[in-house]
Amino acid sequence: MKLTITHQESYSRGELLLRSFFGFIYMIFPHAFIMLFCNIWSAILAFISWWAILFTGRYPQSFFEYQVKIIRWSVRLTARMRNLVDGYPAFMPAGSDDRTNVEVAYPENLSRGVLLLRAFFGGIYVILPHAFILFFRSIWGAILSFIAWWAVLFTGRYPESMHRFQVETIRWGARVNLYMSNMTDTYPAFNGRE
Amino acid sequence: MEEKQGYHPVPQPEELTNKEKDDAMGGYLMMFAALAVGLPLPIINLIASIIYYNINKKNSRFVRFHTYQAMLSQLPLTVLNAVCVGWALRILVSDEWHPNAIFAGYALMLLVANIVYIVFGIISAVKASKGRMYYYWIFGPIAYERVFAIKDEPVREQPVNMPPRI
Repeated sequence: MKLTITHQESYSRGELLLRSFFGFIYMIFPHAFIMLFCNIWSAILAFISWWAILFTGRYPQSFFEYQVKIIRWSVRLTARMRNLVDGYPAFMPAGSDDRTNVEVAYPENLSRGVLLLRAFFGGIYVILPHAFILFFRSIWGAILSFIAWWAVLFTGRYPESMHRFQVETIRWGARVNLYMSNMTDTYPAFNGRE
Repeated sequence: MEEKQGYHPVPQPEELTNKEKDDAMGGYLMMFAALAVGLPLPIINLIASIIYYNINKKNSRFVRFHTYQAMLSQLPLTVLNAVCVGWALRILVSDEWHPNAIFAGYALMLLVANIVYIVFGIISAVKASKGRMYYYWIFGPIAYERVFAIKDEPVREQPVNMPPRI
């Protein structure tokens, strides 16, 4: 999986303030409202895909492509909410974005054994260890986010190392999500590097 | 077997891509949509089938046929299931309504109908995933007629869009 969020040379202070004070009204609320319905559909497809993998060993390609589009949408919204990029995220799964990108290779075959293992023990061997580390990483991420907010306000630049840390956290979470959604058989790495 | 006159040819398994086979299979699996959402409302399956058909109606005839047949076949069972859910809710809520032999008979009939539907749904999903046509009683011919019949395009004598009058 490839997940990239562009580090801009300069960031708009106006957009930063607008997002911080009114982001919930003009960005999060309308996106979350439409996303709710798309996520219900995504859950239906994920459930059906589980059975499809169990019987055919393949994730239906159209379903897979839809799930990738939902991940892309979620990433472009998250990137704005965390002030990692400027601009307004495009609506709907088919929307495009030149500042964020997610590429997931379609797996021709998926293991039925891994599917069952994940369904019954995924909470123990995937969620538990990853969530434990991601929890502390997220706390540090929130602190960095606060510092970066001031940095952008005064200098117009998002410190690159902080930006990288945030992107790696998102990438790490996305990999875990991808694995638990049965979209790959590759166990997620314990880091967010590309 | 001969092709029917006035109909598009029925595609053969080797002419279809895996994606088309999967998409066709998905239509039947929409009968489990309510389970995915976790709500015992039969209407969810029908809504999912309608959405799925609309997403795929621009797809190939094979996919359109299966998704249309799956959607049509949901209709009667959804109505019967909805009556049962409504009836059961009325019994739960109202003091005047009590479970009786008629309700028990209806629920039992419905249980059998649902099992039969699931069995046929799985058979058709497997057939579709292998690129095979599978015709339900009543719904199969209707879906075939709708998807494969060659429709005459209406001849327009007078064009609708015209250049500007100068």
